[in-house]
Amino acid sequence: MGFSRLAAAITVLFASAAACASGDKTFERQVPAEAHGVVDISNVSGTVAVSGWDRPEVSVRAQLDEGVERVDVSTDHGRTTVKVVLPHSGHRGEADLHVQIPKDSELTVSAVSADVTTTGVTGLQRLNTVSGDITAELGGSDLELKSVSGNVKLKGHGQPARLHVSTVSGDVHLEHGAGDLEAGTVSGTLVVSLDSARSVRARSTSGDVHFEGKLARGADFDATSVSGDLNVRASAEGGYAYEVSTFSGDISNCFDATPSEHGHMPGHKLQGTRGDGAGHMRLKTMSGDVQLCDRK
Amino acid sequence: MSGADERKVSSLRELSPAIEPARDLWPQIEARINAERSTAAAALPRIARARAVPPRWLAAAAVVASVAVGVWIGRSVLPAARSGAGVESPLSASRATFADAPTALDVAYVSDPRYQRDRAALMKTLQARLAALPPPARDKVMASLAAISRAKQDLENALGKDPGNALLQELLVNTYQDEMRVLTDVHEASDPGRGI
Repeated sequence: MGFSRLAAAITVLFASAAACASGDKTFERQVPAEAHGVVDISNVSGTVAVSGWDRPEVSVRAQLDEGVERVDVSTDHGRTTVKVVLPHSGHRGEADLHVQIPKDSELTVSAVSADVTTTGVTGLQRLNTVSGDITAELGGSDLELKSVSGNVKLKGHGQPARLHVSTVSGDVHLEHGAGDLEAGTVSGTLVVSLDSARSVRARSTSGDVHFEGKLARGADFDATSVSGDLNVRASAEGGYAYEVSTFSGDISNCFDATPSEHGHMPGHKLQGTRGDGAGHMRLKTMSGDVQLCDRK
Repeated sequence: MSGADERKVSSLRELSPAIEPARDLWPQIEARINAERSTAAAALPRIARARAVPPRWLAAAAVVASVAVGVWIGRSVLPAARSGAGVESPLSASRATFADAPTALDVAYVSDPRYQRDRAALMKTLQARLAALPPPARDKVMASLAAISRAKQDLENALGKDPGNALLQELLVNTYQDEMRVLTDVHEASDPGRGI
């Protein structure tokens, strides 16, 4: 018993010494905030974890390494700003931020290499990173997300919203989204599952696009790529008219329709109607392969 | 009808079944119909020609115009890999692989000095912007720009075989737009005042 207490004390002592030696600092601050206010968070490197709660206040807890000068938290006219400030010398410090905000807040997060996570936020979310990954829970409000090379994971609950997602090379995984989706990537992969979509626009240069889900009656679906494959499994209430075009890729489908050729020119085309043809499905690619199916 | 001409009519039968005009109007009517026919006949070929223009050509012309605008905008912010100015970087080296052979679309613009000047200036900006990115992100952005460049080259090669292909034209316009988006994102991402 006496030995274990001694061991625990030594462990705590060493941990404290290590923290002091590394120069890590902790930061905590709470400020009052409006239930439907605006919260802006910026952090260059480290992590940003944001969660929504029912209290009318913003709580910030942070672990800062020695390269971080300070954390500024300010509030003015319903806008709360949390900013990790680095010295002008260009030293890149890391900060791990845990921020709790009123769940209906309009949230903006800007990061460079920091990974961003949001949970339980039901207001509009604007999430931007350069190389940091983004993991976000969709709360039924709109989402505007932009990443250069960071990967993106989004999980919804089937509540319709307008979702704008773009990356340069980052992969995008979206589950249980609904509403309107506009997604674009250059070389990342788009893997999208929507419970009910009113409109989908997906664009890729070389990345593949995988879509699975249901389309609302009269929905519009557009997907284009240059060399990426398009794999679409979409059922729709009222069916849809489909038009698939490719210059040098292959077209396959699960309803035994036969693609036609453009006379003596290269290229294939597949068009027809499923069900009542209430919706519209357009898939276009230059050299990617296309798979279309109207059932899971 | 007034004055002495006024009389009471008790039944429709009392009215004259036909009232002859004071003069024969037909010659004038016939002449007018004939004149309208000849005018219509003269105008018909022009209308027919206008209607005979296939809508796809109009669409193709519009797309080509869009491509031209896309080329202009897209090329205006692209690195000037061929300018020879500035320090050779991995980016300019990678671009040189696709930018050395001007396409038919390029030719209309490369001779414009204003375009050349803007392009060279933006090349410097892009390199600085890329240098400000974290190294892993920079590598991935450069790989994506190279993917875009390959896509453009592939599309332009394919258009060389099938110049009227609306699908390829649309995808080429998309690719130029995507390139603009990437360059804008890089610009914003590396802006020290704004961040992405």
